Amino acid sequence: MKFTIDREEFVQGVQHVNRAISPRSTINVLTGIKIEADTDGLTLIGSDSDISIQSFIPVADEEKEYLQIEQPGSVVLQAKYFVDIVKKLPGDTIEIEVQEQFAATVRSGAVVFNLNGLDPEEYPRLPKLEEDQSFKIPQHLLKDMIRQTVFAVSSQETRPVLTGVNLEIEEGKMTFTATDSHRLAMRSAEVETDASLSLSNIVIPGKSLTELSRIMDDAEDLIEVVVTETQVLFKFDRLMFFSRLLDGKYPVTKNMVPTQTKTDVTLERNDLVQALERALLLSREAKNNVINVKTAGDALIEITSVSAEIGKVQENIEVASLNGEDLRISFNGKNILDALKVIDSDVISIQFTGAMSPFVVRPQDHDQMLHLFSPVRTY
Amino acid sequence: MNWNELLKRQPAAVRVLQGGLQKERLPHAYIFEGEAGVPKEAAARLLGQAFLCEERTTVHPCGECSDCRRVLSGSHPDLLTIEPEGASIKKGQVEMLQKEFTYKGMESAKKVYLIHEAHRMTASAGNSLLKFLEEPEGETLAILLTENLHFLLDTIVSRAQVVTFAPLPEDERAEELKEQGYTNGQAALLARIADRATVEAQEEPGAWIVQAKTVVVQLTEEVQKRPQQVLLTLQEKWLPHFQDRKEQQIGLDLLLYWYRDVLYTKLKRLSLAYPDEVERLHEEALHTSEEKVSRQLEAILDAKRQLAANVNSQLLMERLLLRLQEGF
Repeated sequence: MKFTIDREEFVQGVQHVNRAISPRSTINVLTGIKIEADTDGLTLIGSDSDISIQSFIPVADEEKEYLQIEQPGSVVLQAKYFVDIVKKLPGDTIEIEVQEQFAATVRSGAVVFNLNGLDPEEYPRLPKLEEDQSFKIPQHLLKDMIRQTVFAVSSQETRPVLTGVNLEIEEGKMTFTATDSHRLAMRSAEVETDASLSLSNIVIPGKSLTELSRIMDDAEDLIEVVVTETQVLFKFDRLMFFSRLLDGKYPVTKNMVPTQTKTDVTLERNDLVQALERALLLSREAKNNVINVKTAGDALIEITSVSAEIGKVQENIEVASLNGEDLRISFNGKNILDALKVIDSDVISIQFTGAMSPFVVRPQDHDQMLHLFSPVRTY
Repeated sequence: MNWNELLKRQPAAVRVLQGGLQKERLPHAYIFEGEAGVPKEAAARLLGQAFLCEERTTVHPCGECSDCRRVLSGSHPDLLTIEPEGASIKKGQVEMLQKEFTYKGMESAKKVYLIHEAHRMTASAGNSLLKFLEEPEGETLAILLTENLHFLLDTIVSRAQVVTFAPLPEDERAEELKEQGYTNGQAALLARIADRATVEAQEEPGAWIVQAKTVVVQLTEEVQKRPQQVLLTLQEKWLPHFQDRKEQQIGLDLLLYWYRDVLYTKLKRLSLAYPDEVERLHEEALHTSEEKVSRQLEAILDAKRQLAANVNSQLLMERLLLRLQEGF
């Protein structure tokens, strides 16, 4: 293999794929970056086996020529050293040549590095993308959807499948669901797809989605999502992000959402956020984050929090509307606050179905988002 | 290594494994049991290849596709290996494995995990393993390798299919060692020593075993002919040569094989551990009785037990040598 490449473009590509590489990988070859040159361009791959990032640098685009490939081929080079090396090279271009035994020579300006590479045949194969299970979604929307659900995944490994976000598609509507069995966040959106496409139980690890949202920006352009048997792929312009899927059956969440309402409250999101933040100052100390809410009159709710050692706090909030039965309920305030922070609407509505039943928080502007919480039993 | 080569060495075990592959009905967990030196790992890798190989149509993995090659080189992402970290396999290691298995496979939906020296799992590691040995999700194959089945939790053994690898016949092993460049005398002794790893860890295993043999032959000669010399030889030769407990156990093994050879010679049986000392063996066989030899063997076995129980090695050897002389 032998090629010469524009330094800036190469550094960028290497840094992208390096995000996926973990220095503590159990498989030796995964500590390296796979570099593959063919007549179309240069492909870089980094992976920690949970996520894999592939970056492609074309020979040239409309603007300029990036790459001259003299001899196609591939090699795996130790990421730990290679990334720092290419960053610090002095020239505008870098020449990489691989001889026998995967010995690589990196030249730039007057500098020459000789690196020992690894056998590219040993590198895991990324899934083949022949399946037609794919759809398109604007980048900024996907980023929002991830932000609005991923906070609710379980951080405990006792039920591994709950550490992921469940992706479902039906009739052109995509739904993300995350739950840790105390709370549930659900967000849906219309996507561009074949109307016949129907996907369910595609559980993407929360960690992978967090990593994915780091490399996304708020651009309007569409990205393609492809689902295979074992992995899911997010296809950007020159970047491909693969994540392994979680194994196991995701709980059925549809029938968890209550259909009836006993008490219906509509209020300013900001008012509730601030009140909860104040109330949590005390209950945070008690480590249970329990907040009590009581209806108090026509358009007033009372929020209290008690900590046996420190004291108590009480606050009345005016609400826009309050309909239905009187209510007294306790819940984990921190969970509600997490959800309120990702709701993109100034007015929210809360539907209670009794003190011992789960309740729903929704934005008022649209019905594409839903947060479900179980109350806490305090007596 | 392929199934045919392995079949010659371990016919019983290989037939069990091939049967499972042929009917496409592998259990979710195997335990490969057999002493050090039997080709357990080779069989496990071969089974892993057969399980993951996509080109396979018969029981034989193709051995050439990238799956097969990466299983051999240990870099297949869907084959996980656990080895003892220090003295034991810790709970954390099993938990890592568990976490890995909550994901779907990287390349296919199949996953294999291979646990080396499974008998060195701590009890809590064993119990964590149990959980997902019991409820594997998807197409999973577990292979546990062990030299001592009885050190595994009963609950693990009962959830897996045990495949026993027969110990190699001593003569066959001696042949193998000769191919590795040992002389006839060295190979015959080395093949019979259980703890070969300690010998092979010596700087020059060949020279070490020759010297050990010289010491043993000299000592037995003195036990028989020059009792007054025995304790001196012990001080000057035996103790400096067999230094730590593992080496002392080997020394006792060598002594044991000497007296067994004396007995074999009396009974005119072949397959000796000291094939190049036939004359000495004949001579000693003439001067002793079967009963006496059996008491000597018993004395050595007692000594071996005591050594394992941390008895002072010098006192132990002195007592043993006195018992050998008297023959009771």
